Amino acid sequence: MSSLARLARDFRWGHVPSVPATAPRREVVPAREMSTAWARTPLARGVRAVAQAGALAPLVRAEVRLQVTGAARLTALGDEAAVLVLNHTSHLDTAALLTALPPPMRSRTVVAAAADYFFTSWWKAAGTALVFGTVPIERRGGAPTDAPARLLAQGWNVVVYPEGSRSYDGWPTRFRPGAAALALTCGAPIVPVAVRGSYTAMPRGRSWPAPGRPRVSLVFGDPLRAAPGEQALAFAGRAQAEVARLLDEDETDWWSSLRRANSGEQPALQGPPTGSWRRTWASTRPVEPTSTGGPRVWT
Amino acid sequence: MRPGFVLEVDERTPPLLVHRGDSFGLERFPLGSRVVYPPEALPGLPDVRAAITQALEHPLDSEPLRVLLRPGMRLTIAFDDISLPLPPMRTPDIRQQVIEQVLELAAAAGVDDVELVVANALHRRMTGPEIRRIVGDRVYRSFWPQALTNHDAEDRANLVHLGLTDEGEDVEINKRAGTSDLLVYVNVNLVSMDGGWKSTAIGLASYASLRHHHNTKTMRHSRSFMDHKASALHSSAWRMGRLLQEHVPVFQIETTLNNQAFPTSYAFLTKREWEWSPRDQAMFWTLKNGLDRAPGRLRRKALSDLVADYEVTSVQAGAVEPVHELTIANVHRQQLVEVGGQTDVLVFGLPYLCPYNVNSSVMNPVLAMCLGLGYFFNMYRGQPLVRKGGALILYHPVQNAFDQLHHPSYVDFFEEVLAESTDPAIIEERFEKQYATDPWYTHLYRTSHAYHGVHPFYMWYWGAHALEHLGDVVWVGGDRKAVQRMGFRSASTLGDALSMVSGSVGTSPTITYQHNPPHSIADVR
Repeated sequence: MSSLARLARDFRWGHVPSVPATAPRREVVPAREMSTAWARTPLARGVRAVAQAGALAPLVRAEVRLQVTGAARLTALGDEAAVLVLNHTSHLDTAALLTALPPPMRSRTVVAAAADYFFTSWWKAAGTALVFGTVPIERRGGAPTDAPARLLAQGWNVVVYPEGSRSYDGWPTRFRPGAAALALTCGAPIVPVAVRGSYTAMPRGRSWPAPGRPRVSLVFGDPLRAAPGEQALAFAGRAQAEVARLLDEDETDWWSSLRRANSGEQPALQGPPTGSWRRTWASTRPVEPTSTGGPRVWT
Repeated sequence: MRPGFVLEVDERTPPLLVHRGDSFGLERFPLGSRVVYPPEALPGLPDVRAAITQALEHPLDSEPLRVLLRPGMRLTIAFDDISLPLPPMRTPDIRQQVIEQVLELAAAAGVDDVELVVANALHRRMTGPEIRRIVGDRVYRSFWPQALTNHDAEDRANLVHLGLTDEGEDVEINKRAGTSDLLVYVNVNLVSMDGGWKSTAIGLASYASLRHHHNTKTMRHSRSFMDHKASALHSSAWRMGRLLQEHVPVFQIETTLNNQAFPTSYAFLTKREWEWSPRDQAMFWTLKNGLDRAPGRLRRKALSDLVADYEVTSVQAGAVEPVHELTIANVHRQQLVEVGGQTDVLVFGLPYLCPYNVNSSVMNPVLAMCLGLGYFFNMYRGQPLVRKGGALILYHPVQNAFDQLHHPSYVDFFEEVLAESTDPAIIEERFEKQYATDPWYTHLYRTSHAYHGVHPFYMWYWGAHALEHLGDVVWVGGDRKAVQRMGFRSASTLGDALSMVSGSVGTSPTITYQHNPPHSIADVR
């Protein structure tokens, strides 16, 4: 390999350079404002609608058994734009959410995506922006972008993963207050959404769902509004508690989850405080027994 | 300005810059290795001239310099030689700026008897152009060569013995300095080893005085000599300085520099690799390929022409000890990095320059050893960065080549002394006196531009603490025969070196790379 080729490989030419996890940030990091405005033009929205309805949704439904609960709760929003927050264990989450959203709402939904992951090369950025409607956000301490707030104000629903990254063991981690701050800034409601089963179906390291059409369930909650004087941290905590309840609701039922939430019997969102293998063991338990004999036509 | 920090190498870490003598390269360190990065360059003083004026007018524990000057007095101004700073700083040198202000005050006070002395101890005499570059044209033209001279540690007529310290150490220094009404010392404190009483008590001393602390025993008990409060070398210098002060008042002016150790056009040498811009990468590639393909002399010339864009971060003046405390605080502000615990393997990349090969044709093996096991190894505070019995891996070509003008005694030291023994205590006992008193080396020191005959011994003692502490020393890319002569081993790659040291540190050791220069002091907790 020539010295120039080695340099190109070492410094990731054509990509945004990666930064070691323990390296301190620059004092002022310019936000990676790789423009995605083109992806919200009528033409791109049309292409996206076709791609999502004609390719993405059938593909998701072919590969996993998607069960959606609580979509009716979204009608309370009317035309109001909201911040959708959900627990994050898999790249499948976004595809499942967009598949589950009612088409009118889906057509005006953007997904806040990590700039340091999805916007490190033009082809990755363009592809995700076109198909998923992604917009870049900094999650590593750079200068915050105002794009999500701007879009929310313009009537776009914004999907935010408040944990900041996919879970390593399938259990959610603490919700950061960014999504709540965004909702507070724009006076928008938060729609909590719980996803269960996507870690089993397609955890970190997999690029395609596991065979056997594993079940993935997605539960929408009632829109949450900030109480007068409520701070972002408290609002984020409330959203986190509601996602925990929705996960419990999916496992049991609405009434049981309410009772368990009020009696303190609800399972902790972050899972049991046990050794890492047991946590992963529990989080990879199939939502229900699935066939291993290939796609099942009649289910 | 971001502080220094310790990086943990992960999958996202690009290969890191490592100096390799007259070249450099990028090295991928094993995952989990620690890398000590110095703080970024502090902002320089906005008005250096005003800062000097302020320091001279409001000195620490002293009358203002203006008050100390009077007609008819003997004033001597001594200053650090070419070994500081490294690389040489862009002109005007800070010493020039300070000396000019001191001389303006002296002229205003009507002081006629003024002499300037380069405090070069047993270092080589500086040439006229080298001195001119440090003191500036005005000073040079006014004083050179009658009243602006190199200190001559072998000129018996111009040395004065001031007595013995409480511990029986001879204090013998430059006669002009030791018999003046006021001795003003102008220093550049690049690292925390410099300055304090070391400036005068060592810089202006003779062999009879220097041998009391430049020896194996003292160096083994200087832990480290970058920490003057834990250094036997400095303790000795402090005792001598206090005796000196009883004979001549000393007005110390110390200055500190930031970490901008290379020209701004070579910014990649001071930046963190993952922040290299396309321009930095292009500069790295061009310079590396140019250096690797250039003939040795051209390569050396290209590097020795580099001047640092240092900026002055502080100027303090007055009594030696309080001034030095403030100086050290300013050096630490720029260089101190907290590191959690020792390591099994410590790695350094040695650059092309050390204090003793400025404008020389090559860095010889003894100087490379001194730079690695002396200077760099001692860049710690508290405890060594590498554990007792650990391994040191150094990147340097260790060419078996010597500058005949500057280092004549080094050639014989390498060929004769190291062939007999590499133990500092043994060579000190058996060979030092012979080299220190050799008339030919003394002649070359006094009349040519050679380092003193005993100087290579001192370089070897400089590494005595490391030699005692370490279990293994391996040179990556080092000339096999030259490295073997010094009692070390040579490896082709880092992987090979780690494999070679596995006997002393195991197959999965903790590894720390101290990214140096720009300099950092590891504050090992």
